[in-house]
Amino acid sequence: MNPWLEAADLLGAVLLLLGCVQCLIGVIGMVRFPDVLTRSHAATKPQTIGVLLALAGVTLRLRDPIDLGTLGLIVFFQFLTSPVASHLVARSAYRTGQTGSRGLLRDDLDPQLSEGDE
Amino acid sequence: MSHTVRNFSPRRRRVPDLPLIAWLTVIWVLLWGTLSWGNLVNGVIVALCVSLAFPLPAVELGLRLHPLGILRLLVYLVYDMVSSSVEVTRQIQARGPYPAAVVAVPLRCRGDLMLTATAVAVSNVPGGSVIEVRRATSTVFLHVLDADDPGAVDKAKRSVWRMEELVAGAFGTAADIERARGPVPEGNGPS
Repeated sequence: MNPWLEAADLLGAVLLLLGCVQCLIGVIGMVRFPDVLTRSHAATKPQTIGVLLALAGVTLRLRDPIDLGTLGLIVFFQFLTSPVASHLVARSAYRTGQTGSRGLLRDDLDPQLSEGDE
Repeated sequence: MSHTVRNFSPRRRRVPDLPLIAWLTVIWVLLWGTLSWGNLVNGVIVALCVSLAFPLPAVELGLRLHPLGILRLLVYLVYDMVSSSVEVTRQIQARGPYPAAVVAVPLRCRGDLMLTATAVAVSNVPGGSVIEVRRATSTVFLHVLDADDPGAVDKAKRSVWRMEELVAGAFGTAADIERARGPVPEGNGPS
């Protein structure tokens, strides 16, 4: 077998493993963080990197241009949709007062909402 | 600025939009996974039907594509994601409490596209999650972890402005790029 292909397979496997580890870290963060807003940090960020790494690993193993396009599409939509979802969750969590039992150290948004332009 | 009703143009285009149809066709072909004439023709038909059945409201987009700027934005995004994944991992392993803050970051560009793209880019990198966006003042409200560290809030603000500059360089008009290079809004400099 071509050594380049073997190297690509190995690198793909490593990337897949790294991606899964990232997703696992995100899940551990979900369990450990106390409230919705901090949890959304753990749920979205490591997970995006995890998906990116896993897909890069899959790309290196598949090596087919059209599959590469499909995987690129997955990355594109992942990047485009996950911020929207996490923003909506964070927004409603903030407005229902789910900012954690200890409150926030600093809050620039509260005065603006209290001005009554809602 | 209170009680302003946003004027979204109610006019919806019934004329098919060529770039949109091309984009939908590309997605169709990619989803089928094989490039053939049948797929291509079916894709165009489906795209036409979709854009005729569900016309989008006309939006003032002002989208320009700068290939070099897009490349720079992508490289920076990947670098930022990798370098700060370590940071989030450390935060996850640290014992609580997790002091957090909500920080307002005013942007320099005014366009809807710039605001949206910057918010999306910012929420994709670790370190800040966007909880509210004000269109009237072009302000992004970030939720920042580890806010007891005096540098963390400044760092978050600077990273948003840096991202804005990169986004403007990738998708903005000449005016956007000019503004994003300009100074940070008055009275909102690093505190």
